[in-house]
Amino acid sequence: MRRTLFYIILIIWTVIFIYPFLWMLSATLRPEAEIGGFGIVPSRITLDSYVHVFQKIPILRAFLNSLFVASSVTAGVLVVGSMIGYALARLQFRGRSLVFTILLFTMTLPFQIILIPQYILMVKFHWTESYLALIIPYFVNAFSIILFRQHFLTIPQDLVDAARVDGCSEFYILFRIFWPLSVPTLITVAIITFMTSWNEVLWPLIVIHERNLMTMPQLVAIFVVGGQAESLMGVKLAAAMLLALPVIIAYSVFQRYFIESMATSGLKE
Amino acid sequence: MHLTRPDKKSDIMYLLRSGTLHAVLLFVTLFFSCSDVGETGGERITLTYWSAANQYEIDLAAAIVDEWNGRHPEIEVKHQPIPEGSSSEEIVLASVVGKTTPDVFSNMWPGDIELYAQADALVPLDHFVDYDSFAASRYSPGILQESLANDGRCYHILWKTNPIMMAYNKKWLSRAGFDHPPETYEEFLNMGETITADTDGDGYTDRWMGITQILVTWWQRFFDYYTLYIAASGGKTLVENGVIDFDNNTSVAVFRFLQTVFSRGYFPRERMDARSDAFLHSIVATRFVGPWEVVHAEKFKPEGFEYDFAPVPRPEGCSGPVYTYGDYKSIVLFKNSRHPEEAWRFAKHLVSRANDLKLLEMTNQLPLRKGLTQDTLFIPYFERNPMMERFARQAQYCRGTDYSPVLKEIFDAISQEFEASVIYGLKPPEEAVRRAAERARLISDQL
Amino acid sequence: MNKRIKKLTGERTAGYLFVSPYFIHLLVFTAFPLLFSFVLIFHKWNIISAMEWAGLANFIQLARDRLFFRSIGNTLIFLLIHIPLQIVIALLLAEFLNQKIRFRGFFRASYFMPVVVSGVVVTILWQQLYGQDTGVINSLLARLGMVKLPWLTSIRLAMPSIAIMATWKNVGLYIVLFLVGLQSVPKTLYEAAEVEGASHWQQFRHITLPMINPTMIMVVILSTIGGFSLFIEPYVMTGGGPVNSTLSAMLYVYKQAFSFYHMGYAATLGFFYALVVFSVVLIQKKVVESEVPY
Repeated sequence: MRRTLFYIILIIWTVIFIYPFLWMLSATLRPEAEIGGFGIVPSRITLDSYVHVFQKIPILRAFLNSLFVASSVTAGVLVVGSMIGYALARLQFRGRSLVFTILLFTMTLPFQIILIPQYILMVKFHWTESYLALIIPYFVNAFSIILFRQHFLTIPQDLVDAARVDGCSEFYILFRIFWPLSVPTLITVAIITFMTSWNEVLWPLIVIHERNLMTMPQLVAIFVVGGQAESLMGVKLAAAMLLALPVIIAYSVFQRYFIESMATSGLKE
Repeated sequence: MHLTRPDKKSDIMYLLRSGTLHAVLLFVTLFFSCSDVGETGGERITLTYWSAANQYEIDLAAAIVDEWNGRHPEIEVKHQPIPEGSSSEEIVLASVVGKTTPDVFSNMWPGDIELYAQADALVPLDHFVDYDSFAASRYSPGILQESLANDGRCYHILWKTNPIMMAYNKKWLSRAGFDHPPETYEEFLNMGETITADTDGDGYTDRWMGITQILVTWWQRFFDYYTLYIAASGGKTLVENGVIDFDNNTSVAVFRFLQTVFSRGYFPRERMDARSDAFLHSIVATRFVGPWEVVHAEKFKPEGFEYDFAPVPRPEGCSGPVYTYGDYKSIVLFKNSRHPEEAWRFAKHLVSRANDLKLLEMTNQLPLRKGLTQDTLFIPYFERNPMMERFARQAQYCRGTDYSPVLKEIFDAISQEFEASVIYGLKPPEEAVRRAAERARLISDQL
Repeated sequence: MNKRIKKLTGERTAGYLFVSPYFIHLLVFTAFPLLFSFVLIFHKWNIISAMEWAGLANFIQLARDRLFFRSIGNTLIFLLIHIPLQIVIALLLAEFLNQKIRFRGFFRASYFMPVVVSGVVVTILWQQLYGQDTGVINSLLARLGMVKLPWLTSIRLAMPSIAIMATWKNVGLYIVLFLVGLQSVPKTLYEAAEVEGASHWQQFRHITLPMINPTMIMVVILSTIGGFSLFIEPYVMTGGGPVNSTLSAMLYVYKQAFSFYHMGYAATLGFFYALVVFSVVLIQKKVVESEVPY
């Protein structure tokens, strides 16, 4: 009996979380005049809203921009983050614990204080209106370093010693030995970094004003806030739908990895 | 775990590979981030010209530039639509900071002129020998006065104007028993009383007298408070003789009028973004708009929809022509230009009589030229476009914005008080106007 | 012996080499901005002109700035609604999911979907859901015979509306976190309590809650930090209105810096917001940690 109650409640909540997406999908496929109300069955299907979006904004280009930026950041974080994690875990050098302490400290720094000076830095470097401003500041991520370090500490020191005895360089040890042994961590860091980079909007809004360089969420946000959508709700929702689509697709395929990765992100404390 | 004996080569490969990855990334990004800057080479001079990025103005610019390049092979103009972005102002600012400004820019909002002039980024045009005759031939005395910055110098060519008028739904006007569009606040309110209704009986109003965006964005006020203030004050702006003095009875009257309109429900408090164009679909009867509405309406209006334009309403007892806000755009020359003389020649060409006609025909925007409706060159255009003629006549009685480097913030301060008082009725108009002016003075003094 | 020294030096060089990218990055993108912010807050600067010394002017302006305090108040309203709502819903659903039920993966995946999707998508979607006249929620309310509410145009309702939307978006993450926490509670504790005749509610209160305290702390702290980072939601949905009731910290900084180009003042705001976040999180940590009996 109680079990049925559980199921009912769980299903109600599933509806609460999924129905809005279904509604949004249906709204984007309807003629503009019919949008409103909570039904999800349109009288007829039309792609007008989507056509309008593609005509007005370079959304495909923005998608590619986001893809490029997020991939680059992820690649950078994986390589550099694992390097530093490795150094902190398995390399002995003076000042190692100092670096680690600094790392922990920077994680507690609220970004509000750095935002404006960092923008000014971008201006001085002439990196505004370029991918550099979107990628380089995110290359190093303290959280990923900690995750890597944590995991690398669990790999037995003997392995490292043996490899060194054999004459392997530290690079080799890291990328050829540790990486294969850290696939779950790599996936976790990759997913978190990719998603965070993909969804980042405030920073792109600040450093990029040229439409062809905008990231996808940024372009859609500006499209909706500015007057370009000509007050057409279907068009705005279509833009949002296009923005959500890549993530939803990736999510349906890899959902287990998504959930586990992002759960780990909360467990860092 | 089986370890094969590595050789030095493979980890150099690793170094190279990860290094190459980074290098490739860097090169690719640098490549994409290269921007065009005006160059000079030998005897031929190249000028960079930025125009607005909407299709009409791109076409116009292309036409003008092609013609110029044909006639002046020694001064080549490279036209580039300003990179379309979140706001052209931000792009211009970025270019000023990064010293990548064009020679000529034609989409400058005059409100920014003081900011850039004070930062010494603009060429003062009156230092060109033929400026005075140019200005006299183009501007009416009122506009001439408006073209001068606080230091008495002129930093821009006033190119075009979009005067704000009141679009109204002809059918409803007559159905509500009115034979002319409302000219005073009294008439407007009376009409509002009749028109605002709940037509489908669901207990919620679904037809309104008019609408203004309730967003608190600073430039929203151009389409309600500022326009009405200019009309009600007979052509005054916020600043008079260098002093902020808009806290007067006129402002209070405007605030009160709009506050009444909201409190009686004649304007909706909703953002109206969540549905299709309210005016064209007969959801609101009037709207304060510029000439762009003509093109928009013709394109999207439903069958049988009839509309026209009239000057915005004023309080009772006003006389003389009705003034309004004219959303001007200016042409400027940036100081970084290496060829200011040639840039000036091109800039003048942009606003020649022939090109002003092109402006009308290709973009349906009004050049800020005196005597537009009497000039034989333009009369045919206005005969073909009677709606535009209304705006052209209104354009003779326009005002722009004042010269202040903190103009946006001043409008933001007004917007805040506007929102609190007019839209939400939280404070009386007198208090709102007083506070707005106080804040505006504070902002200006903080310079 | 030689080999050992050689190995150590090799390690040390590698260590420095590996850490150097971090160091450079830290210096350029963290240390320098941090130091520069301390310079900026004493200057007036609009980016295109030269920097002007302003002494304490920015601080005085901040102390008098009712919008600054308003934004903090708004954030507090947001947190006061968002955090309890989130905890209650997340804990409830995690409890249910922790039972022996089928399709757990499916439920978990559907709750989690709003989490991965961009905030922009959620904001646009909810802007329509909250629409006054034809919005989905109001249509539903009307159908049920209730009053249509002015979700985003009412001064009192706007921020709570955003809080509700934020809860909808994020609760999936916290369900998962709570689930992990719940699953780590040893079953033996429950069994012992059963034996002693403790009711389900008593078990929950005296075993579950204390055991998931760490997770609870984490949820509160993450949500608080999130609350002070709120930007895209008010930016897209309300522009900070009505009457600044949804003006968030970051929105205000953004406005001062990029609408009015008051770089010095914006940096000052950023500085003080950071201070507030820091203090609030510190207080939360102290308060919650002192309550853990174990």
